[in-house]
Amino acid sequence: MSTLFQDIIVFTILAVALVFLFKKYIWKKKAKKACGTDDCGCH
Amino acid sequence: MSKQINVALIGNPNTGKTSVFNALTGLNQQVGNYPGITVEKKEGICKLPRGVKAHIIDLPGTYSLNASSLDESVVIELLLNKNDKDFPDVAVVVSDVENLKRNLLLFTQIKDLEIPCLLVVNMADRMRRKGITLDIGYLEQQLETKIAVISTRKNEGIENLKQQISNYKELSVKPCLNASEIDTEYFNRLQKAFPNQLLYKLWLVITQDVNFGKTDRKDIDAIASFKTKSKGDLKRLQQKETIKRYQFINNVLKRGQTIDITQATDVRTKLDRILTHKIWGYVIFFFILLTIFQAIYDWSSVPMDWIDSSFASLSNWVKETFPGGGKVTDLIAEGIISGLGGIVIFIPQIAFLFLFISILEESGYMSRVVFLMDRIMRRFGLSGKSIVPLISGTACAIPAIMATRNIESWKERLITILVTPFTTCSARLPVYLIIISLVIPEGRILGLSYQALTLMLLYLIGFGAAVGSAWILNKVLKIKSKTFFVVEMPNYKVPLFKNVALTVLEKTKAFIFGAGKIILAISIVLWVLASYGPGEQFNNAENIITEQYAAQDLTEDELQQKIASHKLEHSFIGLTGRAIEPAIRPLGYDWKIGIAIVSSFAAREVFVGTLATIYSVGSDDEETIKNRMAGEVNPILGGPLFNFASGISLLLFYAFAMQCMSTLAIVKKETNSWKWPTYQFVIMTAIAYIVALLSFQFLK
Repeated sequence: MSTLFQDIIVFTILAVALVFLFKKYIWKKKAKKACGTDDCGCH
Repeated sequence: MSKQINVALIGNPNTGKTSVFNALTGLNQQVGNYPGITVEKKEGICKLPRGVKAHIIDLPGTYSLNASSLDESVVIELLLNKNDKDFPDVAVVVSDVENLKRNLLLFTQIKDLEIPCLLVVNMADRMRRKGITLDIGYLEQQLETKIAVISTRKNEGIENLKQQISNYKELSVKPCLNASEIDTEYFNRLQKAFPNQLLYKLWLVITQDVNFGKTDRKDIDAIASFKTKSKGDLKRLQQKETIKRYQFINNVLKRGQTIDITQATDVRTKLDRILTHKIWGYVIFFFILLTIFQAIYDWSSVPMDWIDSSFASLSNWVKETFPGGGKVTDLIAEGIISGLGGIVIFIPQIAFLFLFISILEESGYMSRVVFLMDRIMRRFGLSGKSIVPLISGTACAIPAIMATRNIESWKERLITILVTPFTTCSARLPVYLIIISLVIPEGRILGLSYQALTLMLLYLIGFGAAVGSAWILNKVLKIKSKTFFVVEMPNYKVPLFKNVALTVLEKTKAFIFGAGKIILAISIVLWVLASYGPGEQFNNAENIITEQYAAQDLTEDELQQKIASHKLEHSFIGLTGRAIEPAIRPLGYDWKIGIAIVSSFAAREVFVGTLATIYSVGSDDEETIKNRMAGEVNPILGGPLFNFASGISLLLFYAFAMQCMSTLAIVKKETNSWKWPTYQFVIMTAIAYIVALLSFQFLK
């Protein structure tokens, strides 16, 4: 395998890993609901 | 195509609902979350007679349909929303033969929603011992339902239960209580305003603080012809409803259930007298903990060594089998396999930890611990209920922080949320285990290994830090609140093997796959950062080192090692590590440990995987993670990098530091503010840094 081709594979895998981490920690779905009690501070 | 029906398993806590779920679904089950919220959702598939398949949902335990927590509101929301894809074709209400009266309150409420409802009387094997007899025919007639008497412990009655579920269409949907009896005038007005709606459903929508999908409370308030009552009046009507239900249940049980106290044997009282004793209770709890930590070490060393050497061999095999693969082969062998090896190795110890926790919970002992610890907790401004998050925090701080929702007082709940991350979670375990194995000798005292005692001490330090900071927070936080402590003490039971095995399997799977994906992704990123670098020093490393050592008589292997080390030092990761090194050197760490600490902010267990990846880069030896770490030399002081002083410093750093992004996110969510997670992060990190600094400087 040529060095360029290897680099392409490595950086593609890196991009997939970064997208996964980004989605896991930064781009998260927001919760919709409150917890149900009045004094919990989340209303 | 076979037909599939939805079955909801509902019941009070401690009725053996999960045992029924396990008996019906076996291994055909999966655990997830309800959409948008972090309440655990367990579902599974069960084959019923006549080729019918049942999709079974194990709903969170609830005492009634009057929600006081998010878990309970999940049950109500599902039962009130016919358009939900999980809306049950039949509700299976699980009750415990010894607490039938209390369990029937929930049953009557669900039946009044006109959902086909089947009553399961579980723990039937205890009936004779407790002197209980049931007139099933009479109960079925009065409750207008079918009753399945089962014993999940003895695996009795399960086939009959499946048969009865498949016959759900024959179940009556006639309510137990006429809702308008609660307040005739009010309910007549309600029915007039909403003629096409079920009266009891409307009543629940009005009285519950739940965000219903279809029938919103605001819609009811918007109807001009109907004026609802004040909160206080509604509460009084709820109490009236509960009294009416208990009147009905008492009448039914008067003839349907007989309890002969003279026949009852009472082992429970005798056991409680010892296990909750003000001195012996604590002594026994302490020895149970000691046994657990000793067993974790003794039983798991063989499988751990095997896993460690297997991953080292696998990595080596990949390199030897695909020598022309270049960077791709290196990424697989040094990045992915080494990173994953760093987490898989801890499967035995984590499985043993959950095995013991599960046995303690299943046996009913954990509730005694809650009761026992309440006496101590009160002195530190915590509730007895705080012990549940603190104990479940040994698995993970995230569900533990969510478990604080049943603490009524906001001050006590906030304190519990803030101190729970001090408890030793399972993510800290891999870090502790590897460092302890490197710096604590293998000797024994009174048959107990030093390593097991150190691990136990770290758990006690975590617990001590939690209660100590709770005491300070109780003095500092100026929030007024009142509280009370109520805990249900279930009967003692011999743990069911199936339940324990499924819990261990599920928790270990969640740990490995939850953390595994993150570790795999971080290992890839770290490997790339360690294998690429800017400038001449990295790109021309071979020439620089060859020239530098030309005069010395180095073997080919030694030369290659010098080149790899030089490249790593000038790679992207090496440069980053060097930048933070001045801040961590006083703690006894080098830049490689610094990188592992920074990356483990994503999840603590990443620490070991990171070091495994960093130490693997450029290494051709078939060495285990532990051996590689043991071979690292301190560049300044000489000698092993992981020695007693730096090891203790690292252990204490991890014992106190808030190294978990997900925990901060959940604290933000539960307190609805960034203020508390920010305080938590800054204070915990500062404590960790100071304690680690003092310990290293004192011990070096």
